[in-house]
Amino acid sequence: MRICKIYFVVLFFSFFLMTDLKADSEKMVLGLEVFNNKAMCSTCHVLKAAGSTGDIGPDLDSLKPSEEQVRSVVIEGLGVMPAFGEEGLLTSDEIDAVSYYVAHSSEK
Amino acid sequence: MKKRIIKKIDTSKRNFLTGSATLAGVAAATSVLPISIAKANHEDSDPKGLPDFIKWKNREALIVHSKKGIEAHRSAIGESIITPIRNVYIRNNMPTMTDAQIGDRNKWKLSVEGVKKPKTFTLAQLKKLGQTTIATVLQCSGNGRGFFEHGPKGSQWRTGAASCILWTGVPVKKIVSACGGIASGAKYMTCTGVDAPKDLDPKKATVERSVPLLVYKESILAWEMNGVPLPNAHGGPLRSVPPGYFGINNVKHLGKLAFTETESDVKYMKTSYRISPIGKKGPEYPSCWEMPVKSWIVRPTDETGVVKSGKVQIAGVAMGGTKKISNVRVSIDGGTWKKAKFVGPYLGKYAWRQFVFEANLAPGSHNLASKATAGGDSQPELRYENRRGYAHNGWKDHSVNVEVV
Repeated sequence: MRICKIYFVVLFFSFFLMTDLKADSEKMVLGLEVFNNKAMCSTCHVLKAAGSTGDIGPDLDSLKPSEEQVRSVVIEGLGVMPAFGEEGLLTSDEIDAVSYYVAHSSEK
Repeated sequence: MKKRIIKKIDTSKRNFLTGSATLAGVAAATSVLPISIAKANHEDSDPKGLPDFIKWKNREALIVHSKKGIEAHRSAIGESIITPIRNVYIRNNMPTMTDAQIGDRNKWKLSVEGVKKPKTFTLAQLKKLGQTTIATVLQCSGNGRGFFEHGPKGSQWRTGAASCILWTGVPVKKIVSACGGIASGAKYMTCTGVDAPKDLDPKKATVERSVPLLVYKESILAWEMNGVPLPNAHGGPLRSVPPGYFGINNVKHLGKLAFTETESDVKYMKTSYRISPIGKKGPEYPSCWEMPVKSWIVRPTDETGVVKSGKVQIAGVAMGGTKKISNVRVSIDGGTWKKAKFVGPYLGKYAWRQFVFEANLAPGSHNLASKATAGGDSQPELRYENRRGYAHNGWKDHSVNVEVV
């Protein structure tokens, strides 16, 4: 009986873990898509995980920005970098995804 | 158990993403790994830690913020007025043009517009129009950003995104004469760099800067820097030098000189480099143009080691932007000010001046500060808070704490 209880508890938490994992993976996929295609971040930035070697903005593998730092600069822009949020170039889901993707892909 | 779960998660992510990369049409599918070993990129390209395009710089003198954001240590700008070229900071908005892109330097072209007879000159032709040498302070608009507490974006410079340079080139007024004078209605001198990569929107990527028209009378277009042909990394083969104006106005890889009725409408002029309150931005705020009066101590500092008690020479530099420095005062206790002595030759109001103050320092902690005055303006105690951390000239943040034994 006790083993049965533990089994259900583990199953219960596993469900949430798997849900989170799925959400994270989906974010990473969308983030990569936004990075390389819709926002074309790869034109200007180095990010080895995305295979990009752009030489205009900072090297993201060196900079290792936090998710919040990426989000802020993606929304507001900086120098030649467009204000993807303020100019409505990306949706809020896309901004979330690309921020998550860059923060989790730059070399730690 | 926990480790095993994490390992499983990572593996699943990698597999999933590798697949997705193919779906997204990304060529580098096999390199899609979320996390790997930390290693700064500049270590890859050069064991000295400098990016390839400036391997010739003095690594020991420099602090590398990013590949295109590199400042000199406080004590590395030298004490002989002119900054050694290997120690001069790097701040480039666009990738540095290569020799291949530049081609034969003497055939480099400059078009001149907004004049009575618009013309295109080669560098060889410009060299025939006239020549002069001027000393100016070249300073990034954000020099001192590292002192701002609200964490403005950009390189966290303290004092080292500044240098004093000897430039040789042609006075802009000689070019104006050769083109029959400035067209009527012009209010600005607008300089355009040709270093923006072609795949970027030119309105966002072109470094084009306008300064008030009369600045042309003192400006030069330079092909030599501290006695050597202007290096590509500093904007070679031709760069505008509007003396007393922040670095961004000294346009690199110069391809066009124009006299215009309005300020340029590119992003680098219209909205970037604007000194706006924290939380606000826009073209209505002042542009980073004339540099304000400023000074800082270069020796002794916490970088220069232990200070022995007794007689100490406190040395530094002072700049007045477009105005001549009239005096510098030094404090060794954070409040009492005494005049410092100017030393070395006077290289004109656009160069910085060296100052030295002889003090007797007792053992203990000392706060050493300097405060310069130019054209009736003195450095304020505090910085002017602004969104991007520009134009910091407050003396307090620039002071140094030293331990005297």
